[in-house]
Amino acid sequence: MTTLLVALAIGAVLFAIGLYGALSQTNLVMIMMGVELMLGGAMVNLVAFWRFLHPERIEGQMFVLIVMTVMAIEAAVGFGLGTARFRAKGSVEMEEAAELKG
Amino acid sequence: MIAQTVAVALLGAVAVWFGAAVFRTSSMVRSALSLLASMAAIGGMFLAMEAEFLGVLQLMMMATEMAIMAVFMVMYMMDPGGLGQMDMSHQKRLSLASGVLAGLAALAIAFLGGWGPVAATAPDAAAQTRALGIEMMTRSLLVFETAAVTILVAMIASVAVAIARRR
Amino acid sequence: MTAATIVAALLAGAYVVAVLEGWATTGRFQPGAPLVAGLALLGRESVVPRRPDRLLYETAPVLLLAAAVMAAAVLPLSPELVAVDLATGALFVNAAWAYVMVALVMAGWGPNGAYAMVAGWRFLGQLIAYAMLIVMPIATVGMRAESLATTAIVSSQVGLWNAATQPIGFVLFTLAAMAVAFIPPFDLPTAPGELAGGVAAEYTGVRLAIFRLARLVLVVTLAAAVAVFFLGGWLGPWLPAWAWTGVKTLAVAAAMFAAGRFVPRLRAEHLLQWTWKLGIPLALFNIAWVGVTLWWADR
Repeated sequence: MTTLLVALAIGAVLFAIGLYGALSQTNLVMIMMGVELMLGGAMVNLVAFWRFLHPERIEGQMFVLIVMTVMAIEAAVGFGLGTARFRAKGSVEMEEAAELKG
Repeated sequence: MIAQTVAVALLGAVAVWFGAAVFRTSSMVRSALSLLASMAAIGGMFLAMEAEFLGVLQLMMMATEMAIMAVFMVMYMMDPGGLGQMDMSHQKRLSLASGVLAGLAALAIAFLGGWGPVAATAPDAAAQTRALGIEMMTRSLLVFETAAVTILVAMIASVAVAIARRR
Repeated sequence: MTAATIVAALLAGAYVVAVLEGWATTGRFQPGAPLVAGLALLGRESVVPRRPDRLLYETAPVLLLAAAVMAAAVLPLSPELVAVDLATGALFVNAAWAYVMVALVMAGWGPNGAYAMVAGWRFLGQLIAYAMLIVMPIATVGMRAESLATTAIVSSQVGLWNAATQPIGFVLFTLAAMAVAFIPPFDLPTAPGELAGGVAAEYTGVRLAIFRLARLVLVVTLAAAVAVFFLGGWLGPWLPAWAWTGVKTLAVAAAMFAAGRFVPRLRAEHLLQWTWKLGIPLALFNIAWVGVTLWWADR
């Protein structure tokens, strides 16, 4: 029980740090880092739930694999958009991207 | 059991420490490598929680992903070394408040939720890896295929968006 | 005890590999040269460049050594002589090698020097080229063994070595292994004669000694991985098991250095073109080929 709670607490703290980072940073790549940290916290929770609540159900691990895929997709799309933005405007500062609102 | 708790707690503390370091340094390469250290510590936590395949996979994938993050940071930023001490954050109070709130909510759920009985043992690593492979190729095949096609689409789309226009 | 034996074997292997590399690059066989060079490095002053990123600068050589030793920990010398017999050993080797790139990027960024930085990012590009060619042949090796444990992979080759059943994977993996250890013609991150030593350019004295030692241990683990995954590891007549692994490892290392001696250095973009347009399709074909042959044999 203690180990489960410790792991869940760490997951919660990682999520909180990631959320803070994603909201407070102005740079696209730093925002992505915050999102990655949030997903990392989620993965810690998923593995803890799998190990301590249902170790016989392997779907828990499958879920973590899918989250890892999501992280890779996020990186690919984020860098693609970042490169396009950098080519067009010469920076990836997100405060300058408010013009996208139209 | 005690050893497992201690290992998870220690690696978790490392993960949190480096996770916080990501947003505390102004050197971009340092912050990408701190994120890598945090992710590697998370991988270590997976190993401590006996999810061997996932732990090793996490260690492997994150090394590449975070190094690529570092190179993009260096490409896009005016001051990747953090020598100019630029402030690159905004709406600090709002972000801090929402971070703390979300963290407290998650902690409350973690500690107040009744999780029921805890499993004492997990299947050994070889059995897990085998079961994961079987699961991936049978019941979760559609999920896995969808993820694979999505990542392919993401790759093609991001290259198409990012490529220089030819005239 | 096992761990101590493995470390001793690694050091001995690193020494022999150093002699072999000297022989391949200078053309002279000098069995004492690594000892002299190592002692000389230890005696020299260790200069720190101006305004380095001190943390990354100091961590890089140690991380490189740690990554190489971690990879060695799961590779078996004989059925009993393996430091950690992980159930996912073949994947773990890979994870350890990924940190070679991290260490080189750190070593490139840390010292605040232009040559080193160019070399560090270049190696990241090189990783994009070789990473898939490391993973995919390992996947087919695991397919035949029906396990990712390195000991099980060696045992699965009792009848016929993997080099014979999956020759494409063998060739691709050996070339990719040369790229991991930046052996010529894939020595983009050190590039003597072009980048003045590249990532190692700003290192001197003890730090350079650690860096060189780590590089040699890395070559040993890569050659050992080729021997374990494709050349039947400890399997062989007459000699004891550990001796076969040793002989095969050193033979692979010698072949790598010998091949590098006669080929000019590949440019980064050519390397990427060759690996993505030819290497990865071949590796995918190899997976299909191995799948079909295994199914045919199992039918």
